[in-house]
Amino acid sequence: MFDRLDPRSPIPLYAQVADRIKVAIVARELPPGTLLESVRALAARLRINPATVVQAYRQLETEGFVEMRQGSGSYVREISGDLRAKEQRREAEQLVRALVKEAGDRGIHIDVLRAAFAAHAGATA
Amino acid sequence: MSDLAIRTDGLTWKAGKSFTLDQVDLRVPTGAVYGFLGPNGSGKTTTIRALLGLLGPVGGKVTVLGHDVPTELPRMLAKVGYVPERPHLYQHFTVAQAIEYHAAFHAKWDANWAEHQRQRFGLALDRDLNRLSKGEMGKLMILLALAQRPELLLLDEPTDGLDPVVRRDVLSALVEYVDERKATVFISSHLVHELERICDWVGLMDMGKLVAEMPMGRFKAGVRRLKIAGVAPSPDSAPFTFLAREVRAPGVEEWLVRDWADGNEQWFAAQGATLKEVGALDLEDVFVELLRWARFDRRSA
Repeated sequence: MFDRLDPRSPIPLYAQVADRIKVAIVARELPPGTLLESVRALAARLRINPATVVQAYRQLETEGFVEMRQGSGSYVREISGDLRAKEQRREAEQLVRALVKEAGDRGIHIDVLRAAFAAHAGATA
Repeated sequence: MSDLAIRTDGLTWKAGKSFTLDQVDLRVPTGAVYGFLGPNGSGKTTTIRALLGLLGPVGGKVTVLGHDVPTELPRMLAKVGYVPERPHLYQHFTVAQAIEYHAAFHAKWDANWAEHQRQRFGLALDRDLNRLSKGEMGKLMILLALAQRPELLLLDEPTDGLDPVVRRDVLSALVEYVDERKATVFISSHLVHELERICDWVGLMDMGKLVAEMPMGRFKAGVRRLKIAGVAPSPDSAPFTFLAREVRAPGVEEWLVRDWADGNEQWFAAQGATLKEVGALDLEDVFVELLRWARFDRRSA
């Protein structure tokens, strides 16, 4: 889940950690009620500052993805259809942005990309 | 309790006529994981030795954990774990003897933790120290420093020369300790990438001077490399701090800036220039650029 953390990215590390967990929650890889790894364990495993993990967990709580229970840990919440849809739109935009940028770097015209996308979407529909 | 775990004011030291620490003003906040960066020979080890009172008389004032160095040295040393660049352990000891020997010096020694960590590290009790691999020695050194339950850890290149697996184990143990004890860590390294994930403060040494010191977020976040096409504007009125420019090709310039914020793109449009690219730099790039400019400033000063 965390194998693509990138300290080079302008996105702060805590936001990257929060993002990865969000994706897993939305994909139901982490179903509601799941206890997230403790701050200490995750920080040690990723060798990042514990404060970074705390910040990531706080953001997840603010956005309604997890619930922090005093002295017990952070649990994945049941998320509403609205929140799931909103998060999936955000993830889709992120994927497309990366794809468009990569295509641009390779000099592929947007129309060619669009045609490839339509063909592929047609094939898997 | 002070907000600063380490504070130096005008720390200066001369060895012979060549090497000096020159007016080093360190401010290490309590609870920080402070990455002390700099090329080989920039004065990192000398600074750490000054903090521990190992240099003899120095110029300026050194305060560690609220204690004056050297007048209150014993009280300070009781709360500080130190991992030197080169292991100083007696080579004829076994692992068990080394642990026992160290335990005797430290009132707060945690024997249970030491034993638990020894097993996690896979260090056999009856191994002779002179038979340990470099990686095993690295693990033992960090174990001995952490088992003292220090408030402050001074680590001088703790992972230098260790293979990636050992480095991982050592850093994981360190992170766990920091979270458990809210200890302050001062860690010197020239391995920039290693510190990038773990540190929340950064100090950069070069040629005996502290050339930069700031929270990691600021160190990295505001620094950008910009690619500009067309007639490049004068940076004087820019909303960010201009550091350097390089002409890449006719009509294409690269700028290095800091304090970059979203929306700064518009300034270029208003100046009639085209901003082609805004690139983030990783810690190593920033490190290299800052050194380049620190040295350039000194030459032109």
